[in-house]
Amino acid sequence: MNPKFSAYATPDILVDTDWLAAHLDSPDIRIVESNEDLLLYDVNHIPGAVHIDWRRDLNDQTTRDYVGPEAFADLCRRHGITPDTTVIFYGDKSNWWACYAFWVFQLFGHTRAKILDGGRDKWEEEGKPLTRAVTSFKASDYPVPAKRDDASHRAYFQQTLAHYEAGKKLVDVRSPKEYSGEVTHMPEYPQEGVLRGGHIPGAKSAPWARAANPDKTFKTREELEAIYAGELGLKTDDDIIAYCRIGERSSHTWFVLKYLLGYSQVRNYDGSWTEWGNMVRTPIEKGA
Amino acid sequence: MYPVALSEIIELFEFLPEVERRENLINYSDAAASCGRKEGETYDLEDVRKDEECTDTVGVYVRIEDGDRVHFAIELGPKVQTLTKAMTAILCRGLNGCTAAEIMAVPADFVPRIIGAELVRLRSQTVYYVLGRMKTAVKMFQDRRRAQQA
Repeated sequence: MNPKFSAYATPDILVDTDWLAAHLDSPDIRIVESNEDLLLYDVNHIPGAVHIDWRRDLNDQTTRDYVGPEAFADLCRRHGITPDTTVIFYGDKSNWWACYAFWVFQLFGHTRAKILDGGRDKWEEEGKPLTRAVTSFKASDYPVPAKRDDASHRAYFQQTLAHYEAGKKLVDVRSPKEYSGEVTHMPEYPQEGVLRGGHIPGAKSAPWARAANPDKTFKTREELEAIYAGELGLKTDDDIIAYCRIGERSSHTWFVLKYLLGYSQVRNYDGSWTEWGNMVRTPIEKGA
Repeated sequence: MYPVALSEIIELFEFLPEVERRENLINYSDAAASCGRKEGETYDLEDVRKDEECTDTVGVYVRIEDGDRVHFAIELGPKVQTLTKAMTAILCRGLNGCTAAEIMAVPADFVPRIIGAELVRLRSQTVYYVLGRMKTAVKMFQDRRRAQQA
């Protein structure tokens, strides 16, 4: 095992690029690419990888929610994923959407799941193989999960409001200017419908990117602890909610806190700032 | 309404099934690399910058031929998204050789007709960015020429 991984709370939650390159033909895994760049998978991808699109495959656009158990089972069936398949997620943007897809799989209890450390960028940087050929897998008979377990992993607005009122820990993972309210969108992105700038009162700022190295891999446990335990003062049994703007950057931080550092109660508030920032009569705080 | 070459591209894409639409967008994305400056060519205006709206640097180079026929070369940084690359190649093919007035009159409403409903998303607004940069470059050239003539 990669020596860096052994220090994490859940060492086998990550695979590195060399491991994946050696296991491309393993029948027990399914490699899943999830990106922000909508056509990047079509350009090329890791051989054997299938594509899961966060909006088309994971979201229910009508209800601004996630797909239900039936649709999740259908998605897995289409890609030949069974409950025993280990799903390896990777993608662009430092694995934002890979972590997001991983998180959605956890809502449905698919715990045989891992993240490729460094994601697509590291794989490309190392000159490892990419292909445009799309591999089809025999459809599986993935059973419909009994329910979507939002309670363990996900925070709704009302729960986040109660969390704030109780003075519990909130981590704002957006950029410093989004946190302070100076801007309502991150650099290089459009404004996504937010009316007010600022943050949830009491939330601590820890931009997601601080958890990543320049090569997009996760920082070491020691480095991560210095940020989240040292600077933010988070304790491993704290009840924590992470948020960003629509829930993808906070999926990255949720993954870091839960699996790399072993925080036992971490939820992702996917409504995030596009919900909180627009909600009538909901308090916000401005400034760093 | 649209220059003829751009119109032909729009019509090609508009009725394509989703799979073929994606394949064609990828082909155009691949072709973006050939939209850059050609060795030995000179340009009347160069506008190279990294804006907040786009993930990497975009360089727009304008050359005027035959009075007011505009020819573009566009160079994209490696982090530019695939749809933006595709739109760059489409616009270079669709607008090169048009007059400045024709380019400035092109409305942006053709973009969804090319990329399709499945790929039109709030986070893919950079597909409009390249057209904006091309128009800006043309306007900069026109303003400069007027100033020189005054």
